[in-house]
Formats: sequence, structure tokens, C-alpha cells
Amino acid sequence: MQIVSGGVSDVGRVRTNNEDSFRIVEPMNLFILSDGMGGEAHGEVASAMAVDTVEKYCSDPDPAKEDSGVTLHGVANETWTRATKKLQNAVFQANFAIHQSAQKHPEQRGMGATLTTGWLNGTKLSLAHVGDSRAYLLRTGSLQQLTNDHSLVAEQVRRGILTPQQAEESEMQSVLLRALGANPEVDVEVDEIDVMPRDVLLFCSDGLTRMVSEPEIAGKLQAETDPKSAAQKLVDLANERGGLDNVSVIVVCIQEESKGWFSWLRRDPGKKE
Amino acid sequence: MAKLSLMFENKLVKEVPIGNRPVSIGRSPDNDIPIDNLAVSTYHARVYYEGGKLVVEDLDSLNGTFVNDLRVERAMLHDGDSIWIGKHSIKVDATADSAIPWDTGRKAAAPKINETMVLDTKARRDMLQQAAAMGERSQLGAGRVKMPTLVVLNGKVEQKEYVLTNKLTVIGKSPMATIRLRGWFKPQVAAQINQRDDGYYLGTGAKIPSVNGAPIQGPVRLNDGDLIEVCGIRMNFIVRE
Repeated sequence: MQIVSGGVSDVGRVRTNNEDSFRIVEPMNLFILSDGMGGEAHGEVASAMAVDTVEKYCSDPDPAKEDSGVTLHGVANETWTRATKKLQNAVFQANFAIHQSAQKHPEQRGMGATLTTGWLNGTKLSLAHVGDSRAYLLRTGSLQQLTNDHSLVAEQVRRGILTPQQAEESEMQSVLLRALGANPEVDVEVDEIDVMPRDVLLFCSDGLTRMVSEPEIAGKLQAETDPKSAAQKLVDLANERGGLDNVSVIVVCIQEESKGWFSWLRRDPGKKE
Repeated sequence: MAKLSLMFENKLVKEVPIGNRPVSIGRSPDNDIPIDNLAVSTYHARVYYEGGKLVVEDLDSLNGTFVNDLRVERAMLHDGDSIWIGKHSIKVDATADSAIPWDTGRKAAAPKINETMVLDTKARRDMLQQAAAMGERSQLGAGRVKMPTLVVLNGKVEQKEYVLTNKLTVIGKSPMATIRLRGWFKPQVAAQINQRDDGYYLGTGAKIPSVNGAPIQGPVRLNDGDLIEVCGIRMNFIVRE
């Protein structure tokens, strides 16, 4: 399978600075997106720190990084791959870094961030996230949200207190139950997905999903074959609708190997499947 | 002063304040809320104040007017009620001041972001702390919904029952599929069942599956006992509450 990706981040039409950060580490197929919060541009510091920490941690070949011995709450699945465990630790570490920084620099107190990460190894996508920035999967025309929002209203829907429609119309949509920076430890939610050829992955901050509906997102993803164009078109659409928040989008296209009996001639014998 | 919000597929289409005059709803463009759809009668319904109470009245429409799933001829409306006319819903907001009409297609969620922008650093910090505390408490009680089972009634698949342990379940020929179909002409992804916050949804793949005999028109939430049919496979969706 061939992976092509592209990302765009935009300040939007209302805010004066962009507190979102994202990074695509292409050779690793590592995708990182963070939405920062905190007054006086400290949100930028938080989200940049989150993204940097994850990149550094996952790139570090030290095997000790895979199991830092950290006790994590929540569902621990013994069958998670090493990449998934490493990614989870990376997000945990990002939280610690932000928290520590705020302890050292009192003017940074209150800064925080969401963080959503995806790491594709072969056909296994490892996901680790904290907050309400989302990862989506587009498969045969259906757009499915892969991450659970760590927001108050989403938790209320999960418990049957609100319907999804009520959640969308609630005034408390921005209230998060989990975010990086608030505490020295954080519960990082993890998942693994098997990807298939023709799948499209989307990582985005809520600046996109608050302005553009899911059917429209699905439509744009299907219409564009180039991931960077798709990302730009989604950002443009969010801005057309008002652009009330910073908006960041990463699009990843999982392309199938060309079929047919010529493909074995074209295949590079050195390339791993 | 109340307002009515016309919604279609969760998008806000139009907002209309309710004053002293009745608000008319129907297919004809001279209605206060025109809905251009064949399922809607020319003059379908109207909403007005009577004795200080908000009332919706069906004007002998062909397909009926519904308030929160109940078909009505005349009914009192409360804040938060939804009036359903065809596939459109009209949300009743009985607390708002007179509304400013919106551009078509803009999501209703938008104004809430303006409100959070007003929060200062201290308020944000307090909210995060509160949220963190709530998060700890909520983790203890966050019991997941029981995993549903697909019981195969007929069709050539490997198992008689499949417990849906994953967020994404593929029905198809792909080696990644949970429910693997066999056969030369079977698609890689025939259909899919995916978990969302409020339950499990059946979606199309290369094929359009049916639920209880009816082909789906988009992702459909599955209920206990639903009969799913795709590519000649028939299964019951079972979730023990």
C-alpha cells in the first residue's frame, strides 16, 4: 500500500493567532495534531510542545521508550502492538512536558492542548488521543469518527443523557473532560484500526467540525484525490462558513497497489509490503 | 419572543421569529418557512400564539405534521420540541429573543464558539481544573455498552455468531473483514457496522444492506432484534440491555 498525505493549518477568520499545531512525519507515517488553549498565545506554546514531544519520542529508537513503566488508568489491552504502546507513552509524555513547563513558568499557567495522533505501520493504525480533536476514517463512502471526544457533551451522549443532536446544539460543547497540561498525569485513550486500501484518514481540530458537517467533509474527501488539496478545500470551506476558530486538517490517502499482471514487473524487489 | 429553526440533516436552514402573526409552513414560497420538498403540502402547517401558549396546527396536509414523533392536528409546543414535516425538522426555541435570519447551510453550533472566546485565562484555567476533576470521576463510572452479537440466520460465512468487539466491523471479502464473505464476485467491503457514541450503526459499502426488509439510505442505528441482510447473508443484531 502506498501512503500519501497532506496537511493545512489556518488561523481562521476571527482569531488573531493560530494555536493549532500539526506535523506529518512522512517516513514514519506518523500524524500529529494539537489544538492549544490558554491566554496570551500560550496555546501556541502548548500545542507546539505537544507535537514536538510526540515526534521526538516516537523517533527515538531507544527500546525503553516502548515501556516506560508508567501506570495508566483506563482499559489496558495486553494485545496492543509496540507502536501503539509507544504512541500512548508519547502522548503521556507530552502532557507531562506541558504541565512541567507551566509549573516552571507561572505565566503559562492554564495553558493546555488537545492532542490526536495516528501512526500507521503496515496495515495497523495506532491511535492515541486526549481531547476533542478528531480522527476519522472514510471507507466506501461512509465517514466514521475513530476517536471518542473527551468533551462533556460527548460523555453525556455515551451515557444516554443527551442525544447526538442535543450535544451538537449544546452550549457546553467546548467543555473538555480531558486535556493536556491540567495535571501531571493524564488518561490517554488508545485504539488500533486495521486499514484497507482506498481508506482515507482525516485528523482535524474542532475548528473544522464546528463549521462543516460530516456529509460535506465526506463529499470533499471523496472528490479530491490529492490529500493536500483535500485538506485545503476543507479549510477553505470552514472559513467560508465563518472560520470562527483555528482550523487544522491532515488527510491521509491509503492507495492500493496497482493490480493486474504487469504489477509484478513494476514492483521494486527491495520494497517491503 | 420565541423562534423556529428549520433544520435539514442537522444543518440550520432558516430561522424565523414568532411574533403576533402566525408563522406559516409549506411548499409554497409565500410561506414564512417555505420548504421546497414534494413531501410537503403547499400550506402544510402553522405556528402561532394562543392565550400566551405556542401552538402548532396541521392544515390538512397530506403527510401530516409531527411533534417529537407524534402525529398531531393541533398541539401545544414547548421549548426544545421538534416539529417534523417530511424530512425537515423545525426546532422550537421558546426562550430566545427575536432571531436574526442566518445564511443557508451554516451550522447552528457556530455562536457557541463566540461565547467561549470571551473567557479569560483564569476562567479557562478554572474550567480545565473542573473538567479534569470531572474526568476522573467519570472514568470510574464509564461503563461501556455491552458488545452486541450478530447471529447468522443463513448464508455462507465462517461462524454462526460474531461478537462485535471492535469499533469498525467490515462485512466483505477482504481478509480484514470480520465477517468474511466467500465468492468471486463478492466485494471487498460489502457493508460495515461501526460503533458511535450512541450505539452501533450499519453503513453501506459496495452494497446497500437492508434492515428489517428496507434498504438503508445512509448509516442507520441498529436496535436489538434488527434483521440485517446483505449479499445473501441474513443476520440478527442482538444487544442484551
